[in-house]
Amino acid sequence: MKEIHELHFPDTVRYAHDHEWARQENDIIVVGISDYAQDQLGDITFVELPQEGDFFEKGEEFGTLESVKAVSEVFMPVAGEIVAINGELGESPGLVNEDPYGAGWLIKVRPTNATDLENLMSANEYEDMLRGLE
Amino acid sequence: MRGSVGLGQKIGCEGGVLMDLGSDNLKTPLHGWHTSHGATMAPFRGWEMPLWYPSGAVAEHLAVIEGCGMFDTSHMSVISLIGPGSFDLLQSCFTRDLDSWRQRNSGPPRSGRAAFGAFLNDLGHVIDDAVVFFLALDTYLVVVNAGKGEEVCSHLAACKGSHVFELDDLTGKIGKIDLQGPNSARVLAKVLHEPERALLPMSYFSFKGHFDEDSPLADVFLKNGAAVLVSRTGYTGEFGFELFVRSAMLGDTWELILAAGKEFGLIPCGLAARDSLRAGAVLPLSGQDIGSWPFINHPWPHALPFNEDGTGFTKDFLGDVVLGKRNSAEHTQAFAGYDPRKVSVHDPAVVLGPDGTDLGIVLTCVADMAIGRVGNRIYSVVSPDKPDGFKAKGLSCGFVRVRHRLPLGQVVELKDKRRKIRVEIVEDIRPDRTALRPMSLMIERRGVGSDERDS
Repeated sequence: MKEIHELHFPDTVRYAHDHEWARQENDIIVVGISDYAQDQLGDITFVELPQEGDFFEKGEEFGTLESVKAVSEVFMPVAGEIVAINGELGESPGLVNEDPYGAGWLIKVRPTNATDLENLMSANEYEDMLRGLE
Repeated sequence: MRGSVGLGQKIGCEGGVLMDLGSDNLKTPLHGWHTSHGATMAPFRGWEMPLWYPSGAVAEHLAVIEGCGMFDTSHMSVISLIGPGSFDLLQSCFTRDLDSWRQRNSGPPRSGRAAFGAFLNDLGHVIDDAVVFFLALDTYLVVVNAGKGEEVCSHLAACKGSHVFELDDLTGKIGKIDLQGPNSARVLAKVLHEPERALLPMSYFSFKGHFDEDSPLADVFLKNGAAVLVSRTGYTGEFGFELFVRSAMLGDTWELILAAGKEFGLIPCGLAARDSLRAGAVLPLSGQDIGSWPFINHPWPHALPFNEDGTGFTKDFLGDVVLGKRNSAEHTQAFAGYDPRKVSVHDPAVVLGPDGTDLGIVLTCVADMAIGRVGNRIYSVVSPDKPDGFKAKGLSCGFVRVRHRLPLGQVVELKDKRRKIRVEIVEDIRPDRTALRPMSLMIERRGVGSDERDS
């Protein structure tokens, strides 16, 4: 397991308490899990994601990540409609471990509330929260 | 543990992983090595042990099937049993009939034999499973699970009767490394003095040497000078060895083997890979797949002293009442799923029949990431006849305990609080395992195909 200072928290995304990240791309928000979360879970072996067109509230469970030893739910950092899911993860769930902020993204969301993203944490705030967990 | 919080505290856990590490867990002599090499540590039966290393549990699982991996298993309990009553004690309370060993023993054996079985109580319930090593006349080692040494010692002492013997719980004094995978002998040959004399012949479940250099049995040595007991056993279903050395030599021996194994792809492996490897090999985890219920009607009949036609036992022993419970006891059966999704056995998870009938409970559910299905068949990444382009996506697998025996091939649902998954009742799980392959092939040649496998 890595120390906090060994993990990567880009300031181009915002973070939820449940360790998801969200990034604005035009009018869409891309969602994944943080480097900390993937490191905690270990190898991801299977990813269950919702259907395109599904609507979820902020904080609602939208899928599960299966690792070798654990099954964990992932939660919406923002409310909205699923407009895309990462189909690559069906063949290669390990992308979540290898590139959590890039090729390992989970879903794309059309947000219903513009302030949801602003209410998430900055990289510094998230890192401070993680240090508080130590 | 540091950073132990899962995703929003909403993580499901198997086997207590990702829990806070208590400060009072025991540590093996390799603990510092594990943490300094980035291992994710977890509590396991009173010990703080590596769950996986930075290579990850999937890579570790695959390494043992395709190349080799090494495990620190020094948390296991090692009991010395010495004295003229030792054999009779084991005959009276171990589930294997060791009589064939005694007939062979006209003096100290040149090479020992080992047997996998269990210790049962008077109800036929499992106290623990064990491997018994026959070192010499009236001299045995009993290896049981982590945290079980004291309980098994107490049990053996309670079974003493008129038998004369001495018990010594060596836990903590002995270091143990499991070197597992088809390249294990090639690695071991590099670090042994006189490797061919040490390893040839060495059949499955036999061993040589002793970990105490002062013992007259100590005739196998590593190049670092350590006396070693080399046993062709393990708990992964793959070809390999268990190595016992004095605790003081453990760190040096670990480094020696790791360096020698570099060219063979050897990597350190943690408990997660050990669990998924053993489940795929249809091996039970004590306290989970075998426990406080009758030790009968399960996939391990070889662990009981059945006679040739399976109608009775070849000896009397404590717990042999299980024979009379065959018609009433529940059945433990293996299963394999259709993808790597699991259920949590701690919820608990139940087994549902086609019409939703509750058939029993799930004992173990893990994912073997080296296997996958094509049509009706399960292939492994090393199956010689796997279809072109086969990519193992992993399958859930494990054991269920059901009230009535289910036919092989029956599809049932496993259900926990979160989900239902479909699985098939099977006799075997991961195909083309290497545990039984002849030693001679495993030392001299590389890339051995399954056509050379012992039948």
